[in-house]
Amino acid sequence: MANSMKTIEQLIVDKHTTSLHRGFHLWPKLKNGKLPALGDHRWTADLILSTWLQAETATPPSNGREHRVGNSGGGFDVLDFKFLPEDRRLSNDVATDLSLPLNRRPYDRRIEIPIPFYGAGMSFGSISEQVMCARAKAAQAWKTFTCTGEGGYPESLLAYKDHVITQVATGMFGVREETIQHAPIIEFKYAQGAKPGLGGHLLGDKVTSSVATMRESLPWISLFSPFPFHSVYSVEDHKKHVDWIKTINPKALVSVKVSTPTDIDMVAVGSYYAGAHIVHIDGSYGGTGAAPEIAKKTIAMPIEFAIPKVHRYLSQEGVRQEIVVMASGGIRTAYDVAKAIALGADGAILGTTELVALGCTRCSNCERGRGCPFGLTTTDPELSQLVEIDWGAERLSNLYRSFQLQLADLLRRLGLTAIRDLVGRTDLLIYRGHAGVR
Amino acid sequence: MYQRYQLQTSPTPEIVPFPNRTRVKVKKRGLAMHLLKELVHYRRNPEVALSRPCIYGVFSGPVGVFAPRSNSCVGCLRCTIEHPEMVQVDLNPEHRHLGDSYFTPEHVDTTCYEARTGRIPVKGAGYRGPFGGDGWDGMWTDMSEIVRPTRDGIHGREFISTSVDIGQKPPFLTIDEQGIAIAEGVRTFSLPIPVLFDMPPASVLSLKFLQISMTTAQAAETLLILPVKVLNEFRLQGQQVIPLASHGDADALMELRSTPLMIELDGWNEALFREIQTRFPKSTICLRHDCGSGEELLKHYHSGVRVFHMVANYHGLGSDGRFVLDLIREAHKSFVDAGCRDAVTLLGTGGIIAAEHVPKAIICGLDAIALDTPLLAALQAQFVGECADREKSPFTLPGRLAVDWGVQRLKNLLVSWRDQLLEVLGAMGLRDVRRLRGEMGRAMFQKELEREAFSGIEGYGQ
Repeated sequence: MANSMKTIEQLIVDKHTTSLHRGFHLWPKLKNGKLPALGDHRWTADLILSTWLQAETATPPSNGREHRVGNSGGGFDVLDFKFLPEDRRLSNDVATDLSLPLNRRPYDRRIEIPIPFYGAGMSFGSISEQVMCARAKAAQAWKTFTCTGEGGYPESLLAYKDHVITQVATGMFGVREETIQHAPIIEFKYAQGAKPGLGGHLLGDKVTSSVATMRESLPWISLFSPFPFHSVYSVEDHKKHVDWIKTINPKALVSVKVSTPTDIDMVAVGSYYAGAHIVHIDGSYGGTGAAPEIAKKTIAMPIEFAIPKVHRYLSQEGVRQEIVVMASGGIRTAYDVAKAIALGADGAILGTTELVALGCTRCSNCERGRGCPFGLTTTDPELSQLVEIDWGAERLSNLYRSFQLQLADLLRRLGLTAIRDLVGRTDLLIYRGHAGVR
Repeated sequence: MYQRYQLQTSPTPEIVPFPNRTRVKVKKRGLAMHLLKELVHYRRNPEVALSRPCIYGVFSGPVGVFAPRSNSCVGCLRCTIEHPEMVQVDLNPEHRHLGDSYFTPEHVDTTCYEARTGRIPVKGAGYRGPFGGDGWDGMWTDMSEIVRPTRDGIHGREFISTSVDIGQKPPFLTIDEQGIAIAEGVRTFSLPIPVLFDMPPASVLSLKFLQISMTTAQAAETLLILPVKVLNEFRLQGQQVIPLASHGDADALMELRSTPLMIELDGWNEALFREIQTRFPKSTICLRHDCGSGEELLKHYHSGVRVFHMVANYHGLGSDGRFVLDLIREAHKSFVDAGCRDAVTLLGTGGIIAAEHVPKAIICGLDAIALDTPLLAALQAQFVGECADREKSPFTLPGRLAVDWGVQRLKNLLVSWRDQLLEVLGAMGLRDVRRLRGEMGRAMFQKELEREAFSGIEGYGQ
């Protein structure tokens, strides 16, 4: 009866959604069920499937599927933890504190998140409104954050506004007084790890009427965010930007997103002196809706090398205790989060991981034609219905829960009770060489 | 009058079917049963039953799902995720056989895309490859966070120069009594792109191939290096051609009907070098030299050579087995240490097979590169076995090779590579590729970054 009330389009969406959900459930559990063409060096088939599993079960995989490292042969994949012998580990009864204060300055509002990670900026246009809302809903449930990216602030996000970071980037798409006033945190995006120094690029196919309206542009015309901010050529100029935000929304914390050049340490210190509360360093192997392959592979350094550099330099400068360092760009697993923290970050920012939890296979066709065939990185009205907000939010919540369990377990095995105590503890890491951690 | 450098691109599809990365297989009987079930279930809405899980048209052929069109598959895997019992997507073994161990199938894919479209490969999602590695893969280029407006150059609003000067350059000007600079000793010419075409392997030498290379070099305002005997045999001439002369080729050089811009000497031969200097006083002489030690190059500098063409094998290995990246760095440093780097031009060939290798090679010290295997891959040449040896490697060009098609493919490749060079320069905030040469501060090496980041971590360096 219900079926007869639905339109054909809805029935088609229902049919495929049901099949997809069944597939997401089935594939990770199949014995030797690796999809032959799934995965790559960074995101192996095992990592993708184990992320699906965590998004469904809210626990780390118990079927032996690798969920900690990929097979890239470097960075996080060659680092492991130096766990205590079993008899010296903390018992499961011991409470662990994973919370992360996002303002360490002696002034401005206090914001603390109960888990040491939040969601990366993904714009409306690069992802669907449904995915944006699912991410925001999960962020709300976990009292953490997600970020608008540079594509405007859909009205549907207002319900979650206390957990949404507004991004201000060079194209200023969708940046308005009210979207700055809504947000507890404003993120300036100076650069993005996947396309450092190249600005943003939304291909014409994805600039639908609604995207164009949101960005105050024309439909079906490619949109570029230029690089750099043409009003910022110095730390003083940058401070002017921060002041501008603080004038419009005095309560907001300010985050500064930068990529990872050789002088990332200087950039981080500059951000501190400009008044930022958070410096967000985005490594070169991070995600994107569209970027030149040459930029992804070649320009700027991976996050694993940038974190210790920034941590050390801020410490030497004597300001490390006053600024929060968030790392992103290649953080895939709970173990990556912990390793980033041990290398010197305070917390991590998740982007691709969240999309994988929602069914992304990393096929890299986000920018092509109608966009993502799974309804994630698309603005196609039909495809975007493949992700239902509540379903998506639950998957993300489950993933967060699994990460939370793993981080708590990691701390106990290291003999620590608070994630803050792990910051910069490279003495708790082991380098496994290019053989990787298997 | 100033003119912006421009090569016209045009979509130029492959002439030989290109194996897709993935292959789609279906279980026909299971599929038929499934379809029947769905037709019954959705009997009032057959459109729903017939709706397919692919948005790229893999199942939209005349017999739909029963004969999937693998060539349309982009590897998203939605079909197999929706229907694991009936559809399988695996890696196509034919695709895995493209190229060789150095010029990998992924390189062939990328080169063909560039030659087909003339565009910069742009994709969604993050980087998929290994973390770093040996050779070029262990090197990253810098970017600048907030400086300068030259990024605009990438979108054509501002100028970023990719011109390079080749030839003999005095390290300083000599001023005469009237205070006028004396140009003695200056013998340079400029190319609008830091890319030349190296001589092709014997296995592909044919009139058609040479016509393609010559015409493209002419259109791109760059140079093509060819053995002088080949030039004479095929009666080729023009400013775009650089004759390569070996011992005993002095007479063959005299048969040329025009004075070449540059003559390349195949290995050091003092007698031939002096003879060419005498017979072709207006031509620049370049020494083609197996990649080896910087000391050797310096020795030839002192003999009067000012343009060097360092040649590694197709896999980027020099005569002593070291990788071309290290050899370029060493050569560059030798000239810097000797205080004569600005007086010489360094060209390089071998192992430079991707657009990203061009800025990397220039950062390491080259002025320009001479392309080899990427030209062949763009023309859909097949690699037969391992193709490392410059003399003996067997490549097979498509039988239906057409000159117009080949020229456009190579033009597209050059445009794509130049645009990618602009991306890298723009990200760094450089307006001129000449400023990139030897700018080691613009490079980051995995070994050094790893040492800086991980030293102190147990197990590192052991």
